[in-house]
Amino acid sequence: MGDLFRSQEMTLCQLFLQAEAAYACVSELGELGLVQFRDLKPDTNAFQRKFVNEIRRCDEMERKLRYLEKEIRKDGIPILDTGDNPEAPNPREMVDLEATLEKLENELREVNAYAESLKKNFLELTELKHILRKTQTFFEEALHDQHMTEEAVGLMTEEGMMAGGQAAGLRLQSVAGVILRERLPAFERMLWRVCRGNVFLKQAEIDTALEDPATGDKVLKSVFIIFFQGEQLKTRVKKICEGFRATLYPCPDSQAERREMAISVMTRIEDLNTVLNTTVDHRMRVLMAAAKNLRLWFIKVGKIKAIYHTLNMFNVEATNKCLIAEAWCAVDDLDKIHLALRRGTERAGSSIPPILNRMSTREMPPTYFRVNKLTSGFQSIIDAYGVASYREANPSPFAIVTFPFLFAVMYGDFGHGTLMFLAALWMVLREKQLAPTAKLSEIWATFFNGRYIILMMGAFSIYTGLIYNDCFSRSVNIFGSGWSVRGQFNQSLTPDQIRTQVRGIESLQLNPNDAQAKAWRANPYPFGLDPVWQVSGNKITFTNSIKMKTSVVLGVIHMLFGVFVSLTNHLHRRDMLSVVGEFVPQVLFLLGMFGYLVILILYKWAVYSGRNSNCAPNLLIGLINMFLFRYDKATNGCPPIYTGYQGLQTFLVLLIIPCAPWMLLVKPLILRRRQQMLARGGAMMGHQQPQPQMQPDAGVDGGDQTELGMGQQQDGGNNIHDGDKAVDMGAGYGDHGEEVDIGEVFVHQAIHTIEYCLSCISNTASYLRLWALSLAHAQLSEVLWGMVLAIGLKREGFGGCLALFVAFSFWALLTVVVLLLMEGLSAFLHALRLHWVEFMNKFYKGEGYKFEPFSFARAELEM
Amino acid sequence: MFSESMFSVDAGYLEGLARGFKGGILKKTDYYNLTQCETLEDLKLHLQSTDYGHFLANEAGPLTVSVIEERLKEKLIIEFNHLRTQATGYLAEFMDYITYSYMIDNVVLLLSGILHDRPIKEMLAKCHPMGTFEQMEAIHIATTTRELYDAVLVDTPLAPYFADCINEEDLNEMNIEIIRNTLYKAYLEDFSAFCQQIGGTTAEVMQEVLAFEADRRAFMITINSFGTELLKEDRKKLYPACGRLYPGGLEMLAQAEEVEQVKLVADYFAEYRVMFEDDGTGMDKTLEDKFFEHEVRLNVRAFMQQFHYGVFYSLVKLKEQEIRNIIWIAECVSQRHRAKIEAYIPILE
Repeated sequence: MGDLFRSQEMTLCQLFLQAEAAYACVSELGELGLVQFRDLKPDTNAFQRKFVNEIRRCDEMERKLRYLEKEIRKDGIPILDTGDNPEAPNPREMVDLEATLEKLENELREVNAYAESLKKNFLELTELKHILRKTQTFFEEALHDQHMTEEAVGLMTEEGMMAGGQAAGLRLQSVAGVILRERLPAFERMLWRVCRGNVFLKQAEIDTALEDPATGDKVLKSVFIIFFQGEQLKTRVKKICEGFRATLYPCPDSQAERREMAISVMTRIEDLNTVLNTTVDHRMRVLMAAAKNLRLWFIKVGKIKAIYHTLNMFNVEATNKCLIAEAWCAVDDLDKIHLALRRGTERAGSSIPPILNRMSTREMPPTYFRVNKLTSGFQSIIDAYGVASYREANPSPFAIVTFPFLFAVMYGDFGHGTLMFLAALWMVLREKQLAPTAKLSEIWATFFNGRYIILMMGAFSIYTGLIYNDCFSRSVNIFGSGWSVRGQFNQSLTPDQIRTQVRGIESLQLNPNDAQAKAWRANPYPFGLDPVWQVSGNKITFTNSIKMKTSVVLGVIHMLFGVFVSLTNHLHRRDMLSVVGEFVPQVLFLLGMFGYLVILILYKWAVYSGRNSNCAPNLLIGLINMFLFRYDKATNGCPPIYTGYQGLQTFLVLLIIPCAPWMLLVKPLILRRRQQMLARGGAMMGHQQPQPQMQPDAGVDGGDQTELGMGQQQDGGNNIHDGDKAVDMGAGYGDHGEEVDIGEVFVHQAIHTIEYCLSCISNTASYLRLWALSLAHAQLSEVLWGMVLAIGLKREGFGGCLALFVAFSFWALLTVVVLLLMEGLSAFLHALRLHWVEFMNKFYKGEGYKFEPFSFARAELEM
Repeated sequence: MFSESMFSVDAGYLEGLARGFKGGILKKTDYYNLTQCETLEDLKLHLQSTDYGHFLANEAGPLTVSVIEERLKEKLIIEFNHLRTQATGYLAEFMDYITYSYMIDNVVLLLSGILHDRPIKEMLAKCHPMGTFEQMEAIHIATTTRELYDAVLVDTPLAPYFADCINEEDLNEMNIEIIRNTLYKAYLEDFSAFCQQIGGTTAEVMQEVLAFEADRRAFMITINSFGTELLKEDRKKLYPACGRLYPGGLEMLAQAEEVEQVKLVADYFAEYRVMFEDDGTGMDKTLEDKFFEHEVRLNVRAFMQQFHYGVFYSLVKLKEQEIRNIIWIAECVSQRHRAKIEAYIPILE
């Protein structure tokens, strides 16, 4: 809790690392993950830094690893993941690793090149085989199909006549080849155009997909054979074939030659197959061996690269023997860091210990919260609004309770709450098994990462649901209702008879003031809402009144709490001026107006009952009248709400009104006074600039100078005696060493005042969303019950069974989708808003930046 | 108005993507860093910190400028194809139009390769991947323009543009240039008409960009024709008639016989006058560079308006300019010729 309320105390450290030991030290710090290094050379390019060559070598290794991974995945070999985390290897081992990877890559490339050439060969032979087989059928068809041969002859003679009667001497030539199937239509069309129709193309599809040796993809191809006449056409056809990347194969004309060729092709294919198999086996062995180590190598290389990246941010001392680093770390972790540095030095075998100095700085340190599984979810809700300024009060420890509570006020239904709780409980109990799945889907990851929030929201919803006595829009009668209809019926009737009679009556009135009917037994329902309201006609009027008032009460308490948190901030900075000039009027303002209203609400609940309800005052009108000082005489014979209320209310109004100018003026005026006094003091000291004097002062201040410096940084230190700091204080966010314009302070304070006064009113109204959302939720679930499930419940007999089955599944689906998911999301967003806006604007600045330590674990997560 | 309100139904997502890609265009500081590089490895290291990311990470062996260029173009193509495959209707057609200009360049490149008896494989490697088409590789069967049309181009979208240059003459250096310019003229006019047909903001934005493109071509054709045997009448036929010079300016350009006369024509048009003026800063920028700069300005301006297709065109052109810039810097770095390294054309501030 303490850790979470204020961020860790941070310090800027300077590290002097001996050049040889620097690598090992950074490696140890990376395993530790508690140090955020600062880039000391932000202006230098990535390629102008010291260790750029090492990083390039790492890139090269990563490239090789990726190549290996790609090949391993291509063959579907599982990559061994033992889950162990090797340390970053020494720079010396890096050379070994490089050599290993180099060797592996070369071996693999060689094998691949060999396999590729073999496959190419294989592909060609297979294609040739298919050509021989298909052309065989072409020729056979030609023989059998008398009609076609005639046509071919006809073409020949015609062609021959055109060529000048030399037909007899000319023979048909043919070219056979294989082409990608999708290119065939264009190929055919171009052939036709270029050769003006003087070619004859016959094609057949190869049924089996062939493997492209270069990419390994399966491709579909077709066999074609083209018949034509004359040399000129031949060159053209060949050019087109080349253009369409068709591969041509020799195809003998006579059948005997073809058969002979086919046989030799078959034997060569078989030979090639055995060679190919051994090559593939070899490749498998190489990859299997690599797959065992691949993950470890990836981690190792990643770590080396991260270390050199970090080393690149360091300054090199003039003599080149020492690297100087600056880093943020938590004061509490200094011991651990010392220890890690010592381990690193020992590992590197260096004799000179590293030096770690704490530095004083005026820069704002990063904000660092130590979170655990439960708090991290809530912290991220707060961080989404803005990272807390350094050492400012953090709303997240309170949000752990208030967030689910406000959610539950809107979501109160213990049926839905239980479902939500169980779902979250499942995620929490199985979080180890489920964790890897969170990476797969973004939506699922959102739910999974918020499992503890959902768990809390579920638990609180059960609680508020019990108070609202609402379970899927039905009430549960546990303790017995305080109301009874018995008195209105004949006393001799049995309960069963009364029940049948009641069924026949359209409506029954239960008047608590009717002594004879004894409708009100005067024993209130011990916990939550009396179930009788569920069936009453004025349920809405009743719950509205209660929920609305509860919202206001909760809202005012929540806001008041926020203002008190701001007090802890002021006290933490020892800023008494803000306490007097801001906190006190703020509290008076809020309490005088809405605090009084809350008291009135509680008073009204306590004092007015059924008997004197006609005298109950209207609080809203009362509040308005209070500011108008209008007190009506006519009270219809009712006593005033309490005696002397007029005097108290007048006093409160008179108290509230000066609060606004108080907030507006006191702080800036005092600041101006201080500044004037300082100026006068400066004049007396002979126009000396106060600024340069201050700097060294702060430097030699000793032990807690960081703490002091910080105080000034955020919001103007404390009421220290010297004027310089006081000026700073006024600026709030002002930079150091600058004269602050007092006019700006006034403007800032004016905005702040107006914002606070107006927001008190609008924020209180805004808390009414608690009532509105809860009403909406209750109504929605009632509609769902009445319109869907009740239809199924009303039927009887076998048909009723079936109807219930259908109605229930429909109802369950809608309950999950609309009420659990949609309504839950809506209530979540409203709870979020109430925290971000209504609660946090009372004290939270959120101008910090996150502590991002150099950590291998983190780097790995990002991978 | 109505078309704009419905724009996002089909093209909203793609426009968003295009604007996202535009956001990845290198800024002034990136160029500054790139020009500081000592080696290509440095260049690669810096490009890693930009949107290009690890596009060079899986390259084995020493880096060369041609590898970088190939990868840069590949990245552009991947992005473009990603957009193109999801585009429908007018946008799909519009994006196809963008590729036509690259197809024209490829056709002309291959033809001149054939003229000089260079192997087709080598020429194909030089072709812009944006303008590849199926019949491209078989282009070397053509020896006359008629054959070129009948065999190769008839099935491509370029066919209608080619109708004007069909004749039985053998291909030579001169008529390849004429083919290029005729194709371009027809292409620009057609593209411009298409944009007018789409109407709305698209027409407005594209009108400006294409008009400049047309005028630039007219100027360059005129200047390059001096000292060649191109006849004035033939030259006039090559001017695209969709620019701001049309019709009066083109008439005057057609009569020009030397650079001074071209300048006189440009004087009538405020935005072109500055291109021909010596800006007096001592930086001897070429006319081409000035045209490029103006083109970049126009294309950046296209992003100022929403709900139009012009952003896709401008994105491609800006990316192309960026590739030219990176290659220029890479060449300067690899050849240790640092004096001219600053002569790239900055795109975004």
